[in-house]
Amino acid sequence: MKIVIAGAGAVGTHLAKMLSEENENVVLMDEHEERLGKMESMFDLKAMVGLPTRISDLEAAGVDSADLFVAVTPDESSNITACILAHYLGAKKTIARIDNYEYLQPKNKAYFESLGVNSLIYPEQLAAEEIATGIKYSWMRQMLEFGDGALVMIGVKVRENSGILNIPFKELARDIPYHIVAIQRGDTTIIPRGNDVIEADDLVCFMTTKDQIPYIRSICGKEKYTEVQSIIMMGGGRIAVRTANLISKKVSVKIIESDMKRCRRLVELVDDSIMIINGDARDPELLASEGIHETDAFIALGDSSETNILACLSAKRAGVHRTVAEIENIDYISMAESMDIGSVINKKKLAASNIFQMMLKTDVSSVKCLTFIEAVVAEFPVREGAAITRKPVKDLGLPRGANIGGLVRNGEGLRVSGNTMIQADDHVIIFCLEHVLKKLEKYFN
Amino acid sequence: MFHPKVILRIIGLLLQLEAVFLALCIGISVYYGENMMPAYLYTIAALVGTGLLLTYIGYNKERNISRKDGYIVVTLCWIVYSLFGAMPYYISGYIPSITDAFFETMAGFTTTGASVVSDLDALPRSLVFWRIMTQWIGGLGIVFFTVAVLPIFGLGDLHLFAAETIGIARAKLHPRISVTARWIMTIYVCLTIIETICLKLAGMGYFDALCHAMSTMSTGGISTKAGGIAAFNSPLIEYIIIAFMLMGGTSFSLLYLAIFKLRPGDLFRDQEFKSYLKMVAIFTVVIGIGLYITENMSAEGTVRTALFQVVSVITTTGFSTVNYSQWTPVLWLLLSAAMFVGACSGSTTGAMKSIRVAILGRVMQNEFKRIIHPNAVIPVRMGRSIISEQIQSAIMAFTLLYVGMVIVGIFVNMCFGLNLVDAYGLSLSSVSNVGPGLGNYSSANAMVTLPTPLKWFYCFQMLVGRLEFFAVLLLFTPVFWKRR
Repeated sequence: MKIVIAGAGAVGTHLAKMLSEENENVVLMDEHEERLGKMESMFDLKAMVGLPTRISDLEAAGVDSADLFVAVTPDESSNITACILAHYLGAKKTIARIDNYEYLQPKNKAYFESLGVNSLIYPEQLAAEEIATGIKYSWMRQMLEFGDGALVMIGVKVRENSGILNIPFKELARDIPYHIVAIQRGDTTIIPRGNDVIEADDLVCFMTTKDQIPYIRSICGKEKYTEVQSIIMMGGGRIAVRTANLISKKVSVKIIESDMKRCRRLVELVDDSIMIINGDARDPELLASEGIHETDAFIALGDSSETNILACLSAKRAGVHRTVAEIENIDYISMAESMDIGSVINKKKLAASNIFQMMLKTDVSSVKCLTFIEAVVAEFPVREGAAITRKPVKDLGLPRGANIGGLVRNGEGLRVSGNTMIQADDHVIIFCLEHVLKKLEKYFN
Repeated sequence: MFHPKVILRIIGLLLQLEAVFLALCIGISVYYGENMMPAYLYTIAALVGTGLLLTYIGYNKERNISRKDGYIVVTLCWIVYSLFGAMPYYISGYIPSITDAFFETMAGFTTTGASVVSDLDALPRSLVFWRIMTQWIGGLGIVFFTVAVLPIFGLGDLHLFAAETIGIARAKLHPRISVTARWIMTIYVCLTIIETICLKLAGMGYFDALCHAMSTMSTGGISTKAGGIAAFNSPLIEYIIIAFMLMGGTSFSLLYLAIFKLRPGDLFRDQEFKSYLKMVAIFTVVIGIGLYITENMSAEGTVRTALFQVVSVITTTGFSTVNYSQWTPVLWLLLSAAMFVGACSGSTTGAMKSIRVAILGRVMQNEFKRIIHPNAVIPVRMGRSIISEQIQSAIMAFTLLYVGMVIVGIFVNMCFGLNLVDAYGLSLSSVSNVGPGLGNYSSANAMVTLPTPLKWFYCFQMLVGRLEFFAVLLLFTPVFWKRR
């Protein structure tokens, strides 16, 4: 598969790296040579200097024979223009990164399609939505919804007070209204089998229906967590703006931004109830005067991953029990996990998993990535006569690292056992490690 | 850069237009069989003659008007209009002093409505109509009126407009200013006609109905009768006038959108309009309660009187149905507070305007917030939009000038022996273009007893207030006259 990526920013380089590791033919283009840096020597891809909106440069990048064209420069207008041009030159599928919520509305989809822009991604919006759900349920690390909310996947860090520790799975798994798809312990991901047990400080992924969320909360021993009512955000970037506007009706939000010019712009972008504060969010005195001790959650969305981690740690010390850090440096994520940072937001992974699903040859309704595990959860609609419908689940021989979390039949969420037969028109939710996703295609064709 | 020729040419053109307005009065005087011909004909001859002379002197190909020219033209044309407009009063002998005649005309054009005529019923109807006509032209502004009727200035329209705008400039209705002006003019004319019909149906004669409609829409407040609105003794007429005064105090662009484009939602989403209605409601309730306790009136009468006076004062119209100076002092003091506030920008009213008051309120609130959150960046918001610091400081300068002008007025008035209440009432009323003051000057036509220098000062205050301070006072700053 030939893929051209325009824009070697954070999202673009991560995507290029990931795809080249998947053995795809990747061309990464950017108008600034220094951004391409050592990409070509470090990864198996072609890097070229060129303007994504210049036809001759697009031709030089081989857009005419590309299966996928991804425009992820910081400027949405260039992205859309580049996609229109790429489509005109013969690219089969195009994706543009945008920064405008209006464009995402379903009524505009057909128009963008007619322009030659097949899909739009808005990484900041994805990140903001994730933070917003994370804030709503402060006791969990992440919650993902599938089949229009029929099934949910919840990631919880269990502590010593949980009731499900040290019970082997074959005993635990009788008559429970949930399914545990994976456990993250330190650096290792465990797809649980009969004799595995859950230990304290494990991150457990539950698959369940929405009405069972309070039950999961009680077995994890998380009842004492209070609802989040006030938030301090560090850094007033695009994610902060989207997040603040999503949650400002329910909670009080303060955004601390160090650049005065950006502050002035921010007040135009956010709702009236959000307070913008000019200052350095790492300054303990500033934090104290803005009431960090009475704040329920701290969200670090600064430019530097290191600063975000440190800011979260100091917020924790000031007594904030819910912290979220944006960590763009993927190597730091497991480290942040071991330091008890709380939730981690990674814009690149969010965008990449979103783009990833468009490369699959089979239909997939959604692919969502887990920030704390190198894994994704994908929702596949089952077609008539697909391989997966022919045998019960235990005989399918699913690849290692994949685990069926549940299925949605007629809008209702169901658990899956070894003897379940999957039928046409079901939606199957599969948890799998990132590199396994492509191997699942054959079960659905 | 100044372009004296262009300035002269424009003034010349404007004078010829004034002759057309005056010609309408001839029609009225013929209809009523009055012996007023010489007064009008001499004035028209003077206007046309001077007008043609100025256009001749100013004739050249230059069409550019600079911003400075704009301010000179606007201030000058208001003064020249008043000078010529005073001629019929003087020539006919009904107002035998030049001071009084000029005062009367200036009070008309600035929509103040103050008067030196003690026996209004003795005045010829055509002269009464001229007084009301001056108000009606002055309501939207002389230049505005002209641009709407005849877009003759070409590229200079914008600068002329900037100098004459009431309140904070809004987004234009149409990309071209002359079209915007024409649309606003249309709504102004339509509302005047509708009010005329309403008042006729409510029992007024045609002449009275038309005159009161023009007087209401321009928020001038001149009546055709010595007794004012009270002379008609009809609650229905009072309610009709209340409704149209309220509209006169509303931004005409918003009225245009609400009525012609059928978008009334815009009106009620507008922050300024909301705060305007809120102010009217608060003042009415407080004064109504006060009246109910202190005066012996029926409940309906109390509500009507309170509403009428509050709306009349807040829109700077200055009609009155009662002599409010005989109320308990705190009540007329409250009314004078309403004079300060004023109605919406883009209307025909004077005073501060609700938007400025609302923004000042926000600025003050923010200062309190800033004490608690010294690092916070707190914008001044009106609805969704953010008021820039430039506009904020312009508003504060405006407020200082406004309050300063009122205080200077009080000093000047007191120098001529007026008591504090009279001095305060007169000063506030003239700067805000209301008309009636307080105390001994609480009726609009009591100004006849003022000493002559005070009358001239009153004229100055009216003009400065109508052109919102900057346009006139700018001409007194050295920086304006510097070559570089």
